[in-house]
Amino acid sequence: MFSESKAELTIFDKLRSINYFLLFLICTIFFIGTLALYSISNGNFSEWPIKHLQRFILGLIIFFIVALLDLKIIFRFAYLIFIASIAALIILLIVGDEINGAKRWISFAGFSLQPSEFVKYTLILALAKYFHSMEDYHENFISKLIIPSFIVIIPVAFVVIQPDLGTALVIFLGGVSVIWISGLNYKYFISGILGFILSLPILWQYLKEYQKDRVFTFFNPERDPLGNGYHITQSKIALGSGGIFGKGYMEGTQSHLNFLPEMQTDFIFTMFGEEFGFIGSIILILLYMALIGIAIRMALTSKSLFSKFLSLGVCSVFFIYVFVNIGMVTGLLPVVGVPLPFISYGGSSMLAVMFGFGLLTNCYINYNTTLTKGSFI
Amino acid sequence: MSESNKFIFKKYDANASINRRTAIITIAKAGLFSILGARLAYLQIVDKDKYEILSDNNRITHRLIEPQRGIIYDLQGKPLAINRQRYEVVIIREETSDYIKSIENLKNILPDVNIDTEKLYSEIKKTKKFIPIKVLDDLSWDQFSRLNANIHKVDGLYPQIGFKRYYTSGQSHSHIIGYTAPLDKKEKDTNTLADLSSAKSGKLGIEKAKDVSLRGKLGNKNVEVNANGREIRELDRYESIQGKNIQLTIDSDLQDYCYKSLNDQSGCVAVTNIKTGEFYALVSSPSYDPNLFSKSISSEKWNSLTDNIYKPLINKSISSQYPPGSTIKPFVALAALENGVSEKREVYCNGKHEIKDTSLESGIKTFHCWKEEGHGNVNMNEALKVSCDVYFYQISREIGINKIAEVCKRFGFGQNVFDSFYEEKKGIVPSKNWKLESIGTPWMVGETLSAGIGQGYFLTTSAQLSLALGQLINGGEKIIPTIVMDKNKDVQKNQKISLNPKHLAIIKKGLEDATNTQGGTSFRSRISGNLKMAGKTGTSQVRVISSQEREEGLKKNNELPWEKRDHGLFIGYGPINNPQYAVSVIIEHGGSGSGAAAPVASKIFKYLFDNNLNLKSKSISNV
Repeated sequence: MFSESKAELTIFDKLRSINYFLLFLICTIFFIGTLALYSISNGNFSEWPIKHLQRFILGLIIFFIVALLDLKIIFRFAYLIFIASIAALIILLIVGDEINGAKRWISFAGFSLQPSEFVKYTLILALAKYFHSMEDYHENFISKLIIPSFIVIIPVAFVVIQPDLGTALVIFLGGVSVIWISGLNYKYFISGILGFILSLPILWQYLKEYQKDRVFTFFNPERDPLGNGYHITQSKIALGSGGIFGKGYMEGTQSHLNFLPEMQTDFIFTMFGEEFGFIGSIILILLYMALIGIAIRMALTSKSLFSKFLSLGVCSVFFIYVFVNIGMVTGLLPVVGVPLPFISYGGSSMLAVMFGFGLLTNCYINYNTTLTKGSFI
Repeated sequence: MSESNKFIFKKYDANASINRRTAIITIAKAGLFSILGARLAYLQIVDKDKYEILSDNNRITHRLIEPQRGIIYDLQGKPLAINRQRYEVVIIREETSDYIKSIENLKNILPDVNIDTEKLYSEIKKTKKFIPIKVLDDLSWDQFSRLNANIHKVDGLYPQIGFKRYYTSGQSHSHIIGYTAPLDKKEKDTNTLADLSSAKSGKLGIEKAKDVSLRGKLGNKNVEVNANGREIRELDRYESIQGKNIQLTIDSDLQDYCYKSLNDQSGCVAVTNIKTGEFYALVSSPSYDPNLFSKSISSEKWNSLTDNIYKPLINKSISSQYPPGSTIKPFVALAALENGVSEKREVYCNGKHEIKDTSLESGIKTFHCWKEEGHGNVNMNEALKVSCDVYFYQISREIGINKIAEVCKRFGFGQNVFDSFYEEKKGIVPSKNWKLESIGTPWMVGETLSAGIGQGYFLTTSAQLSLALGQLINGGEKIIPTIVMDKNKDVQKNQKISLNPKHLAIIKKGLEDATNTQGGTSFRSRISGNLKMAGKTGTSQVRVISSQEREEGLKKNNELPWEKRDHGLFIGYGPINNPQYAVSVIIEHGGSGSGAAAPVASKIFKYLFDNNLNLKSKSISNV
C-alpha cells in the first residue's frame, strides 16, 4: 500500500531534524503571552500565567508526539481522525456545557476542551489526504469537488449552530486555502466568491440576534457604545492611547481599570498594544510573520503532496487566527471571538495550535517520504 | 482561454502550481499583515492624541466636594444655624449600564424607604449623564450602613455624606434666619453650587440675604475610577471652602423672650440699639419649625402654613405693613414745631373736627377723636400724653401734608430699613406728589387729617418704627440699621439728622408723660423703679367706620370678628434718663395699642433693663 522511503529515520535523527528556530519563535511568542497575562493578573503569577505555562508544556508534549509519529500512520488515519473530530462536535451538541448561550466546551476527565479548535486541523488532514489521493487530476469532472465541499461544510455547519461564528470562519477559510493550493481553477474560486456574496442575504436570516448586532456594530461602533460597540471602542482607545512607546509594562490604565472586556482571551493584543505601544505591537506582528514565513518555507521542502497540502494548510489556519484576532481588536473586522495563538489564555486553542505545528514539523522531518495514494483507511 | 482552464484541477506540473499558488497566498498574507501594521500606525501614531484624551476621560472622573455653609451666630456667639451630617445617595447615569436595575436593587436593599421612581427616571433622562442626581436624602445611619454593605449591587449609585442645615434656636428665630431649600429652576443657571445635586440656597431671611457669602465655594477632586465607576484612587483634590460664618446682632435670648411675650398672638416686635443701630430682636409671630424645610415638606403641611390666617410664614416685622396710627404723632408734632407751631398752642377738643366736603350731601365731613366726649383744651404735651386726635387734625391741617411727609422721611419712614432682605416692604409716606404719581388724583384736605393720625395712606413696618423712634430719641444721630455684625463697619460717621434739641425735649416729655403720668395712654404699662420707659401707643383702624355705625354706637373691638379689629401698636424707648433701646410692638387686630401692644413692650423693656449688661456682643474668632 505504501511505497517505502529510502531510509528509516531513527528518533534521534528526527529530533535533530526538527526546525529549532521555529520552536524558538513559538517559545518567544508564548513568553510574550505569559508576560501579558502576568500584567493582566496584576502581578499574580498563580492566576493566569501559571495555567498558561502548564498548557504550553502540555502543548509541547503534544507537539513532540505528533512530530515524531510515523507520517504514514498520520496519512493512513487522516480520515478517521477527521471523522472522530466531527463525532466530537456532534456529541458536544448533545452533552456540551452551555456557556454564555453557546455550546462550545466538552468536559472530559477534568479538562474542558473545545473540539472546534481541533477540527481546524483535522479538516486539513482530510483535505490533504483527499487531494493527495485524487485519481487522475486531468479529468474534467466537477464531481471531484463534491467530497472536499462536504469535508469543509459539515464541520463549518456544526460549529455555526453551536453557535461560534468566529471559529466557523477560521475553519472555512482554512479549508478553502487548502483547496486553493491544491490547484482549483481560478474561475471556480471567483464564482464561489460571487455565490457566497449572493447567498449573504439568506445566511443573514440564520444569524442569531447577537451576531447580527455584532455585524451592525462593526460598521458603526457608536451605535451602541455601552453594548457591543463597547468592546471595539474601548479596544481602540486602549491601543491608541498606548501611542508609539506604550504606557509601560503593567501601566495600562484601560486594561487595569477593567475598561477592556475579555482581556485575557480575545482582547489580549489590545492590552499588549496599550502597554508596549506601536513598537511592541509591530515587533509582535513581525514575530508572527517570521513564524509563518519559516513554516511556509518548511512546507515547500516536502516531496509528497499530502505533506505540502497539510503543512501549507496549517500555515494558513495559523495566519487566519492571527489576522482575524488583530483585525478584530483594531476595529478592522467584526468582533467574532478568535483567540491570538500562544498569547490568549485558552487551553484548547493552545493545544490545537501545537498539534498543528506538530503536524507541520512531522512533514518537515519526513520531507523525503513519499506516499502512495491512499484508500479510505 | 489557455489549456489549463479546461481543467478543474491542474496537475501537468503539480509542484510548480503549488509553488506559484503558495507565493500568491504568501504575498496576500504579507499584504494583510501590512494592513494591520498600517492600522496600528494610524491608531497609535496618527490618532494617538485623540485616544489619549478618551483614555483619560475614561479613567478620570471629576467629583465635586460640597462646601459647608457658613454658621450663623447670635450676638453672644451662640450658634443659631449649624450643619449636621446628612447621609444621601446619588446616581450618575454614565456610570451604570442599567440605571433602572440599580434603582430596583436599591429598593430591595432599603425596602423601608420611598422612591418616586417615575419622577426620578424622568429626571435622570433629562439630566446630563455625568451629573449626579439625588436619589435618597437624609437616610438614617442604619439605612446608610446597610446600603454601604450592599454597594456592589447598585452600579452607578453613590452613598455620600453631605451636610444639612440645622437650626438650634426654635420657632422664635425662624423668620429672621430663614431657611434653605433646593435650588429653584432660575437659580440653576446662576448659583455657583448648581452642579451639586444637593445644592441648596437660602430662601428667606438671613439665609437668603447673605446666601452668597454663606454658601462657600465648591471643591473638587479628580479620581481614577474603574469601568464600574468605583474610585480606585484620588489623583488630586481641591478642598471646598466653607461659607463665611456670620454673627448676627440678634440676641437669641431676647429674641426668644420677645417671641414668648407675644404669646402666640399675631404680631411682631423690633428692638433696636438707638446708638449703634443694631437690631437685638426682630420677631414675628406665630411662627413655624425652621427645621421643617431641611427635609422635603409635605404639601399638606405646606398648605396648612400658607392657608393659616395668621400667616406664620411671613416675617411681619419687615414684610407686613400697617398704618402707624397714633405712633406717628411724635413725628407730626415735630413737623408742627419745626413749622412755627408753639408747644403752648392750645386746641379745643370736643370729640370731633369738621371740614367742608362738597362731595357729601351735608357738605361737611366729620373727623372724630378716639374719645367721643373730647379732651377739652389740649396743648402739645397733653395731646401726646392722651393722644388727642383733634389736636393733630388741627395742626396737620395747618402745616400741610408735605411738611409731615418730609419729617417722617427724614427719620426713615417710607424706606427700607435693611438693604439685604428681598422680603422687606418699605411702607408708604403719603404726600401730594406721591398721590398724584401713584394714584393719579390730587390730594384732598381730609387726607391730611387722616395722615396726621397715621391713618389713610400711611403704612409702615415694625422695624421702621423702632428705627425712626431710635433716630429721633438719640438726638438725630443717623444710625445704620444692622442685623449682621460687621467688624469693618465704619465707626459712626456722625451723620446728623436735622433736629432741634428743644423740639426733641418737648416730644420726649410728651412721651414720658404718656407712659409715666396718670391719664397717659400707656400709664397702665409703666415700669416703676429707676429705669423707666416712655412711648406712644397707636390703634390703627383696618375698616372705615360709617356715620350710621357711629350713630348706632361704636361696637367694642371684642364684638368684631378678629380680622376687623383694630391693630394695636406701641413704640417706646428707655431708660428715659439715658435712652438705649427703641422697641416697637405691633399686635395685629389686637384691639388697641394701650391694651395689646404696650404691655408687651413693657415686659420687653423690663427684660432689657434687667439684662442690660448682657447685651454686649461677644466677638467670635471664626467670624
